[in-house]
Amino acid sequence: MVRIGIDVGGTFTDFTVLNQETGALGFFKVPSTPADPSAAIETGLRQILADGAVRPEHIGFLGHGTTLATNMIIERRGAPTAFLTTKGFRDVLEIGRQTRPHLYDYNRVKPPPLVPRALRFEVRGRLDVEGQELHALAEDDVRTACAALRGQDIAAVAIGFVHAYADPAHEQRAASLVRQALPHAFVTLSSEVLPEFREYERFSTTVMNATLGPPMAAYLDRLLTRVQDLAIRAPLYTIHSNGGLMSVGTVRRHPVRTCLSGPSAGVTGAAQIARRLGYPDAVTFDVGGTSTDVSVITDGTPAFTAARTVADYPVKTPMVDIHVIGAGGGSIAWIDAAGALKVGPHSAGASPGPVVYGRGGTAPTLTDANVVLGRLNPVALLKGALPLDATAGRAAIAGDIAGPTGLSPEVAAHGMVRVAVANMGRAIRSVSTERGHDLRGFALVAFGGAGPLHAAQVARECGIPTILVPRAPGTLCARGALMSDISLDFVATGLTDATTETWRATQARFAAMRREAEDWLAGEAVPVDQRGAQTMVDLRFHGQNHELSVPVAEPDKVDLSAVLEAFHALHRQVYGYTLPDRGVEIVTCRLKAIGRVPRPSEPPVGAETPVHAARTGERPVWFDDAEGWTDTPVFDRERLPAGADLSGPAVLEEMSATTLVLPGQRLQVEPTGTLIITETGLGR
Amino acid sequence: MTETPLADPIGLEVFSNRLLTITEDMGNTLVRSSFSSNIKERRDCSVALFDAGGRLVAQASHIPLHLGSLLGGVQAVLAEVGLDGLHDGDAFICNDPYLAGGTHLPDIAIVTPVFCDGVPSFFTANIGHHSDVGGVVPGSISGQSTSVFEEGIRIPLTRIKAAGEINQGLLRLIAHNSRDPVERDLDLRVQIATNDQGAAMVRDLVQRLGADAVASSIDDLLAYTRRRLQTRIAAVPDGRASHTAWLDDDGRGGEPVPIVATVRIAGNHLGLDFTGTGPEARGAMNVPESALRATAYYAVKTVFDPDLPPNSGLFDAVTITAPDGCLVNPRHPAAVGARSITCNKVARAILGAFADLLPADQALSAGQDIVPVIVFSGQRRKHDGPFVYLESLGGGGPATATEDGMDAIHVHMTNSSNLPVEALEYEYPLLVEEYALVADSGGAGTHRGGLGLAREIRARTDGVVFSARSDGHVRPAPGARGGQPGRMARLIRNPGTDQAEDLSSKTAGLHLLAGERIRIETPGGGGLGPPEHRDAAALARDIADGKVSTAEG
Repeated sequence: MVRIGIDVGGTFTDFTVLNQETGALGFFKVPSTPADPSAAIETGLRQILADGAVRPEHIGFLGHGTTLATNMIIERRGAPTAFLTTKGFRDVLEIGRQTRPHLYDYNRVKPPPLVPRALRFEVRGRLDVEGQELHALAEDDVRTACAALRGQDIAAVAIGFVHAYADPAHEQRAASLVRQALPHAFVTLSSEVLPEFREYERFSTTVMNATLGPPMAAYLDRLLTRVQDLAIRAPLYTIHSNGGLMSVGTVRRHPVRTCLSGPSAGVTGAAQIARRLGYPDAVTFDVGGTSTDVSVITDGTPAFTAARTVADYPVKTPMVDIHVIGAGGGSIAWIDAAGALKVGPHSAGASPGPVVYGRGGTAPTLTDANVVLGRLNPVALLKGALPLDATAGRAAIAGDIAGPTGLSPEVAAHGMVRVAVANMGRAIRSVSTERGHDLRGFALVAFGGAGPLHAAQVARECGIPTILVPRAPGTLCARGALMSDISLDFVATGLTDATTETWRATQARFAAMRREAEDWLAGEAVPVDQRGAQTMVDLRFHGQNHELSVPVAEPDKVDLSAVLEAFHALHRQVYGYTLPDRGVEIVTCRLKAIGRVPRPSEPPVGAETPVHAARTGERPVWFDDAEGWTDTPVFDRERLPAGADLSGPAVLEEMSATTLVLPGQRLQVEPTGTLIITETGLGR
Repeated sequence: MTETPLADPIGLEVFSNRLLTITEDMGNTLVRSSFSSNIKERRDCSVALFDAGGRLVAQASHIPLHLGSLLGGVQAVLAEVGLDGLHDGDAFICNDPYLAGGTHLPDIAIVTPVFCDGVPSFFTANIGHHSDVGGVVPGSISGQSTSVFEEGIRIPLTRIKAAGEINQGLLRLIAHNSRDPVERDLDLRVQIATNDQGAAMVRDLVQRLGADAVASSIDDLLAYTRRRLQTRIAAVPDGRASHTAWLDDDGRGGEPVPIVATVRIAGNHLGLDFTGTGPEARGAMNVPESALRATAYYAVKTVFDPDLPPNSGLFDAVTITAPDGCLVNPRHPAAVGARSITCNKVARAILGAFADLLPADQALSAGQDIVPVIVFSGQRRKHDGPFVYLESLGGGGPATATEDGMDAIHVHMTNSSNLPVEALEYEYPLLVEEYALVADSGGAGTHRGGLGLAREIRARTDGVVFSARSDGHVRPAPGARGGQPGRMARLIRNPGTDQAEDLSSKTAGLHLLAGERIRIETPGGGGLGPPEHRDAAALARDIADGKVSTAEG
């Protein structure tokens, strides 16, 4: 059986192909087709089938990640959507939290609501915080709104009522009326999308789900047609924001849950690789052309968050907690009016790109600096497919950076790298040390085109002792789709004091969620022996407004005192103190249903060829301003045998990335081909 | 012009990143683990790092009103205790505007010396707005207060922690001078823990980089900030201009009160003077020194460099003067509780004066330019004990040369989040009937002023006490360059009934019965440029959205 993982990116669509019988693992890229991303997927699948070695019926698994949802929100290409809400609250979406985006600049304005005011309708009917009905639902108001919408070009209707998380009956009744009146509209309810309190975030997530529904369905239809036309019978899965896989049917209902599809697959893949090598605690470090994504993994599990913004709109769905900063290979360096060196947030992107690409870029980028320093091959990248103009890159840095600061071009280029590394280090600390993690016990998993190039310096900056570089690091997000399980998150807001009685009610709630999860897993055709669940409960001290998620492995077997003990320990870890005598509130129950996807073990790489056969040459590399140039051996990473053991400095080149090993570091190749870089304690 | 070259422009940027890690981490802890709704939801708090000389090195401000406002507390530590009097494990507390550089009594500051190798080398500091610190009214702030003695407990600089042990007696004394002692006790402990967390990170930084490298990077950072601002100031032609903004009253009725700002640019230096401003208010509208400075720094950042790092380098390029005994330089014991409203008017006066010196494309109309605050208090819904629910509301934002004013935002000195309706109804015996934009409240113009906000709240039990401190009931936000003024604010008890009653903007201590409602409508912003030049599509969109009615459009 052949398993295929796909990652649809802005520039390239990456493929990873695993032959389960032979263990052979293949990686390749095709150019993306943003107008219809499914076209590039078809191109890649045809390429896999082209030589006849793989036949359609051999393909047993198709998993793909795509940032289509996020792109549609950023480019405002969602479907025309209407919003029905409680009387008195139609402006909640527009008021937001009544803050301005920038404290000192009134030209940086709030994003316009995803549903304009004219398409937001008020409906009488009101619940209180316990879900008790204060006013009955005025069904005529729903009918009136539908009448106003009929004949308009409305493809989706979102319904969000105040306190609907406590009782969804009003929303459900309104939805059935809308479906009768507008049978073709995609209807979505806040009580289904996000049954949690805080109306703005819930409504925002709900309208985003609504506006994504129709175009996501259209994309999936096109993709399914293309896959079927190739006679591939394997089910199609999509990675969602929590790193798990969802069936097409679930994605249709919950498209908002794919906002981090793609990046989350990379984290899932990194977590598995690190865990398998004995590093349950790790930081993922994914550096691309325009951004750096970092996240933290503890005990083999990625950290999750329940909230983030997508194009400045809040989204609350369970997501891998990925912190993104605007620092990548294309980030542009500049000297500001008062003489400080800055790198980013502006990026030369893929076009015009860095100066060395010779495609019209004139502003010095981080990639140019790495070429000037000899860290990147000064002749060509992508195995010769992308010739470089190192002289032009050096001239740009000399003119824009070295000139104004009076530094040499090398020191200026190294300064650019140091500033970028400091930015990246801050991002890492903000997801790790700021949450109470001690990085001395962590590994840094470096991937993306430029992650392995900066990992050595970033690890030193943050005090991380070990670096892992997976095979084909530039395509890890595609490979991550082969390492994921099927999963879906269920949430329920409880909002009650934590007492023995309420804990019993909470246990019953978890049991009900468990049944709901079983039904969903059955619908996804997951065999019973492959089903599982992870449960957590969000707790806070009475009077706080922010919760901490406490894992509770088996809620039905744990008593409250053990849960509270875990909460106190976590509170102390995160905030530095706890309050043993203070009352605790139960806020939200979370359950992640998991359908385990069987995975073959990682294929080993060859160990027969000697290390020196992988050596392709030597070039001067600038590591340190005091040392200047250092002659450094260059290796073809794909030809390095398992068991290879080298001392830095070294440069390792492969198709999708370049790995830098600093003087004082040691590099080993483990049996499945992952690079392990450690500090020797010498030569710092 | 000072042309100190930067010792290490690369090291500076690397260092700034590390500093930001520390202040972001402290701010995160303070917001996420605190108990006052002002801090936990509305982020009315700030954290900062100072060096041993009392220079502000870094600050994470969630609201500009705290910009530099921790300076006073650190200066009080240096003046009253001195470096020699500090011990590892100390922490200090203060809030008094006349004794310890405070901005008003609910803003309680904690200052903690950070010892590196046995030497006091830094201070971590934070300030949080506590929901209640005693005084005449719940929430401690009434526009009608006539002296600081009516506004709650006054805390001069006092050691609250010694040798790592909190002074429990002092903590109890402060907590029990509040209507919600448990919340005070908890939040002060959170504030102390926040500084300790910051201190550990500072020590780690010094250990990694070395004390000398850190000291040199701080010098670079402050020099860089000063130079960056001076470069911007020098680019504006020398000149002098004045502008007047108006408060409805001084907190206790009477005539509108002028606030006059005069801006003087000479080379790379900037002077701000407030001669001509009305006299010290009889009520609580007075602005103490630290709040006036914060306002001036806010305006300077807004005009010259929104991304300028907040540190002492910014303060060096600006001189601020105000006559003794005026609204913005009051004498002890004048009340200062409601200073945030006045501060926003001061910001408007400064920005208005700059408008005459700057190019037209930097113009900014008036926004709501106040901080409307409503306070409900009574008995908690779910738990025994009292509650004080305070909410400051957004209103119309100022229009710019390229953008309409934002609707329903906090302007200038504050940027507090709202309390979600679903969170509010969980905690308090209140029901929100409406939370909406006020149609037709934005001043017409080529670029429209932002819309004001309506919030209508019903008491669900007897015994709920309501107070407000607001403004803009008498003088609207003026338009600029031919734009129209915004609509004025309103405060109504039981709107839409035959008992409907317009309330004063400084209403205090109103007892509500179950079922009674209070509605506040905040001011709209002024328009910018002549309305007849407005883009037809923008106007059509406003009409379709019901933001502008056809009758007035």
